[in-house]
Amino acid sequence: MNNIVIQLTNVNKSFGALQAVRNVSFEIQRGQVCGFLGPNGAGKSTTIRMIMSILLPDSGAISVLGGSALDAKDRIGYLPEERGLYRKMRVADFLRFIAKLKGISRNDADTRIRSWLERVELPGVSQKRCEELSKGMQQKLQFIASVLHEPLLLILDEPFSGLDPVNRRLLSSIVRQLKESGTTILFSTHQMEQAEDLCDQVLLIHKGEKVLDETMGEIRGRFDPRTILAEPANSIEVSTQALQNVSDIETFRWSMEHKAFEIRVAQGVDTQLAMASVMRATPLRRVELQRATLDDVFVKLVGGTVAEIETAEKSGKLQANHG
Amino acid sequence: MAERGASRRIRAIAWRDFRYTALTKSFLIGAIILPALMFVAVPLLPMLIGSTSPPLKGKVVVIDPSNSIANALEKSLPKTPQDTIDLEDGGPNSGPTEVALTVESEPDPARADEFRLQLRNSSLQALVIVTPNTDGPSIELLVPSEASPRHTTILEKSLREAVTRVRVEQAKEDYERMTKIMGRAAIDTRRVSPGGLESKENAQLRMLVPAGFMLLLWISVFTSGNYLLTSTIEEKSSRVMEVLLSATSPIELLTGKLVGQAGVAGVMLLMYGGVSLAGLGAVAMLDVVPLPHLLWMLVWFPLAYFTVAAIMVSIGSAVSDLREAQSLIAPAMMLLILPLMLWMPIVENPNGTLATICSFTPPAGPFIMILRLTAANEPVPMWQALLAVFVNVLTVAAILWAGARIFRVGVLMQGKPPSPMELLRWIKAR
Repeated sequence: MNNIVIQLTNVNKSFGALQAVRNVSFEIQRGQVCGFLGPNGAGKSTTIRMIMSILLPDSGAISVLGGSALDAKDRIGYLPEERGLYRKMRVADFLRFIAKLKGISRNDADTRIRSWLERVELPGVSQKRCEELSKGMQQKLQFIASVLHEPLLLILDEPFSGLDPVNRRLLSSIVRQLKESGTTILFSTHQMEQAEDLCDQVLLIHKGEKVLDETMGEIRGRFDPRTILAEPANSIEVSTQALQNVSDIETFRWSMEHKAFEIRVAQGVDTQLAMASVMRATPLRRVELQRATLDDVFVKLVGGTVAEIETAEKSGKLQANHG
Repeated sequence: MAERGASRRIRAIAWRDFRYTALTKSFLIGAIILPALMFVAVPLLPMLIGSTSPPLKGKVVVIDPSNSIANALEKSLPKTPQDTIDLEDGGPNSGPTEVALTVESEPDPARADEFRLQLRNSSLQALVIVTPNTDGPSIELLVPSEASPRHTTILEKSLREAVTRVRVEQAKEDYERMTKIMGRAAIDTRRVSPGGLESKENAQLRMLVPAGFMLLLWISVFTSGNYLLTSTIEEKSSRVMEVLLSATSPIELLTGKLVGQAGVAGVMLLMYGGVSLAGLGAVAMLDVVPLPHLLWMLVWFPLAYFTVAAIMVSIGSAVSDLREAQSLIAPAMMLLILPLMLWMPIVENPNGTLATICSFTPPAGPFIMILRLTAANEPVPMWQALLAVFVNVLTVAAILWAGARIFRVGVLMQGKPPSPMELLRWIKAR
């Protein structure tokens, strides 16, 4: 049995003069949770829309669950970036309508709707009109619409944006449960902690091009941490003087955030040896190797200049529905 | 399996569109209560019109040096309210009017200004000034500015009769005898059906029947077309479109919406058509709508609906709000209001060049053809009817094809509306 759920091969998509997606290829295996990262306007939503067959690629091939997404829509759940509901419809009617589109019988749909409304902590809203719900409630309602039919593949475009921390945590835990039940999940996000917490695989796209496609383990291995956090037992001044004489380090600075020195290890020096040198130079309360976060990886690969991101956001707004 | 999935999704979308359009309070008021009120009001209308005519009372002064017209006018005024109907040939707006006028004769033309003043302060109903000429008198009728047109008509006709009366008497003839000789013969025209049934001729109604068919088609098709336009714009602006497209293909979504609103148009047609037929049945005039007319309606209804619906849904998918839609609808509307503007000449001459050309002009063709086919005066050649069906089927196919391509691209577009050139590019896009 083929384990590849999504496969993109050399996919390109342009809107007029703007090339939104350039030669993107990747695969997502069955049961994996894949984080799809990238700055605004990088081409994430365009790629997702092409995966969903809402947009057609200019060139390249896309396979979803072994064929076109058009033939597999009943087995795919999708939460679009732009949230949308029929404002005048009652919650239960809206979910029944979506369930019907997805091929769920009326009785089965009613049972699932009740269960999901309780699961996302929205009991008692089934007879309310969608427009009567708060923004966060509407977002949870849309999430239900994307998972009601127990899809094999779940695609979530910015599922956590606009949610308060409590609801973000609730949705995260549901995504984790779906992962445990074997659902393949692709989600785009700006919340790096969420991605780090949930993902097996990370795809990073920038200016329409794929710049990273690795597992979390591979990322941690590749982006070898070379910063030591050292909390001195002596005063800062005394420790500063001591550190100036350590040859294995490149630079160091006091971090108010960590209440410790951030010490950059010199190129070519083993980090364990550098840690030992620092400990010999000055007494320490705590010393640790700073872990490379997805945030660091993101900023490193994307370049991370504010100007670049703002420019990308502007082009994203111009192509609001294709970015 | 895919086929069944597609038909299930189309049915779900169609039912949602139908339910949230036709099973709403506003629609029920418009489509059921309004025709029901019409059904009650139509038979009452002539009665209401007939009973509201105010009496014509007061004084008329005739300035006539010969003193002959005033005498004749007094004799010519209607004696009973019923006579005022006869005066107007029993037209639809001529309820009986009570006439109680006194006629005063004044031989001195110099007093005209004095009477004009009385006319201005409404103490006179009318002032008639007769000026003798060699080839008969010339007559001026002056009435107050607030005089009812119906009263003016009664006065004009009475004066005309008075002049004729003077002429006849001056020729030493008996006016009553002459009137009898020249009076119009009453003709009872009846139409005989192939089954032998005879029914009273009503020429005015027969002219109105084709317009009724065309309006019925127009109202039902445009009402649902308008719902289609607004619901598509709403789905775009509320961003629900992408949710739908994640569950269905654009073509399934379009088909579902078209089918759902076809149901709405069908309900409108049945409601208004049913009330019209019931009304005709109530006054025993069902023969003005023979069965072939109803069958032609069944042929032209889907063609008219899909033509208008495809235009509306593609415009709805291309714009973000109703204001933007107006500018794109305008060119199509120019053609679609043709039948409303041209119904009279087309019904009078259904096989004329204008009618023939218009019936092959998309997208107005279906409306023009129903006008021609239901006009009673001359039958449309069958080859023309069949050719028009063929041309309009092709038109519907082309409009649906282009509409589907615009819909596919337009539903995800936001921002400024496309230009006609951009729409063409969308149609040609892969």
